[in-house]
Amino acid sequence: MSDESKRREESAGLMEYSVENLVPFGPIHPALKEPEYFKLILEGEKIVQVIPRIGYVHRGLEKAAEQRPWMQNMYMFERTCGICSFVHSLCYGQAVEELTVFQVPRRAKFIRLIVAELERIHSHLLWVGLMGHWAGFETLFMWVWNDRELVLDIVEAISGNRVHKSMNTLCGVRRDMPEGMEDRIVERMKYIVDRAHYYREIIDTEETMLARTEKVGNKISQETAQKLCAVGPMARFVGLRQDVRLNDPYAAYDEVPFDLVTRTEGDVRSLLRLRLDELIVSANMISYAVKHLPDGPFRVRIPNIIPAGEHSSHCEAPRGEIFYYVKSNGGKIPDRVKSRQPTMANIPAALELLKGQNLADLPMVLTAIDPCFGCMDRMSFFDTESHRQWAWSGEQLRQYGIKHYFPDRISAAPALKIGEAH
Amino acid sequence: MFERLTNWSRKRSPWVYHINASSCNGCDIELVATLTPRYDIERFGAVLVPSPRHADVLMVTGVVNAQTKDRLRQVYEQMPEPKHVIAIGACAASGGVFKGCYNAGQGVQDVVPVDMFIPGCPPRPEAIMYGVLKLLGEVK
Amino acid sequence: MSQVSMQQLQEYAADSNGKVSTPRKGEMFIEIDQAHIMGFISHVVNDLRIRLLSTITGLDLGQNFGIIYNFSHEDQKIQVKTTLPKNQPTTVSIVEIVPGAILYEMEIHDLFGITFTGNPWINLKLLLPDNWPADLPPPLLKSSKPAEIRKRLHLEVERKNE
Repeated sequence: MSDESKRREESAGLMEYSVENLVPFGPIHPALKEPEYFKLILEGEKIVQVIPRIGYVHRGLEKAAEQRPWMQNMYMFERTCGICSFVHSLCYGQAVEELTVFQVPRRAKFIRLIVAELERIHSHLLWVGLMGHWAGFETLFMWVWNDRELVLDIVEAISGNRVHKSMNTLCGVRRDMPEGMEDRIVERMKYIVDRAHYYREIIDTEETMLARTEKVGNKISQETAQKLCAVGPMARFVGLRQDVRLNDPYAAYDEVPFDLVTRTEGDVRSLLRLRLDELIVSANMISYAVKHLPDGPFRVRIPNIIPAGEHSSHCEAPRGEIFYYVKSNGGKIPDRVKSRQPTMANIPAALELLKGQNLADLPMVLTAIDPCFGCMDRMSFFDTESHRQWAWSGEQLRQYGIKHYFPDRISAAPALKIGEAH
Repeated sequence: MFERLTNWSRKRSPWVYHINASSCNGCDIELVATLTPRYDIERFGAVLVPSPRHADVLMVTGVVNAQTKDRLRQVYEQMPEPKHVIAIGACAASGGVFKGCYNAGQGVQDVVPVDMFIPGCPPRPEAIMYGVLKLLGEVK
Repeated sequence: MSQVSMQQLQEYAADSNGKVSTPRKGEMFIEIDQAHIMGFISHVVNDLRIRLLSTITGLDLGQNFGIIYNFSHEDQKIQVKTTLPKNQPTTVSIVEIVPGAILYEMEIHDLFGITFTGNPWINLKLLLPDNWPADLPPPLLKSSKPAEIRKRLHLEVERKNE
């Protein structure tokens, strides 16, 4: 082991692998005893410990689900997250549908696949844009989000909405695919694929992106990713062939050809490449699905009483595996609904990625896991060297990172130094 | 006369601070979309600032749970006068689909005074821009 | 999942006094009592290499609490269920076997009040707000009412008629 990596091992107090039982989570630093925000302990510039505190978006949906009818819950769970809303309602729907005797019509499965993949494209484009924004490359952000609008046009034409599509219902979809959309969708998907190739080239050659993503992030092994139960791109970027669409196909994924994308480099840049490649695969799947859309009904009406039983379902959201468990006592309202968002599954892996990294790399690494919560809005820090405590907004953290990498760049607001709060 | 000049320049270029108070991110992404070329709220002079101390307008999204309530209040108090608050989305107006959940508020107006509600779940970028411009008196 | 692994799983379950049921294709429920739960999960993860713990679900079953360890392996969902009495809501943490379980156990601690001994972060709040009163029971118990929780968290505000 080189001197540098040995020093990193020693300074990264968070991830002390105790040899006997390989538990990576060490004891809590005293300054973190009463965490108020997503709190970080630093040693000078190096991140030593991070405690996640995701109470900012905790609203109490699982409890509310026990008091609302089955169908209403679908639209409530959709609003767990604005970016992957369709796949939340899909996963919940699938878990409930299996408790009934009714089958989802084949046409509905194809439409579900199309909307789910459109959501994946919009989510990945959103994320690439955000990575550009956090890196200090505003142009990339503007261009990518502009292309994303074209995808949202298709989503709106199919479902009537841009964000919360409300396309799903129990045992089907609420709307049929509009007439004559096929050519438009195929053409637009071709355009998106071209743009994705272009962005691929940018992230491989452009100076800002290279500086901020190449070899950034503590490299984790496949074994570590599996131990930490990482899902989605966080598992695939170290080479694991883990994708619910491949391992346990749902909707129409067993009928539409699908290429799994994996990478092995294990740094932030490989996540960028991976998501852009996935986007291309998704666009091709959508083109295939609209050309082979089967005829038939798009929904089956079912009674509002769901037979007793328990069932779970999982889907591949843009961020990783999403998991729902439902339990019915044979009534109009559920007994228990458990929903597990993909970001929560990836937090332990994210903490491992942050091990020994510079504060300036924190925004890129955290954004790289594609977080689904507003926790980047505010973070508090404690420096064990200077004993200073301070808090920054997400924007201040972003400016700090950009200033660290590009000290000559002029910015509207001056970046703060470590220890300074505004 | 000086006051009229500063009022005029404030209206021409509102400095906006955005806070996500337990939002699902739907309203936030539509708000961020207003900065992108298709909608381009910046041509109206609106600029996102990194700190509430520089802001004229506070844009709040989300249902304001017990954890973010104090933070929202703090941010509002850090803003200098004159200040305006815009509540974006159904959750910020009334709790939206989460009304009655054990850790959900019933609207931003319970925490800070609101000047403009922009309804929607989420409101389209055009609706957000309309609301902001109406508040500033650009739209009659 | 291969036939061999399925068989081995059922054998381990039998060894641990467990009850196996497969109500639907692709899903297997295995009920294990508290005494054997660590050993069984260790078999599942280390011997059968069923690595992906999707989540851990807590249940309020009236007299008892239920805990389901939801594993996903290839095309099977393997749900390992166990129960513990409400008057003694403590169980052992599986963080040593599956480090990725750390947040799921914290979540159940927040929502049901179950303590997982051995989880280094069990006393930290993950989801519940900082002003959660110490005497207020955990929210996902059947006996907890959202209206009462809202009042205690000061989320109910008297609206004057405007």
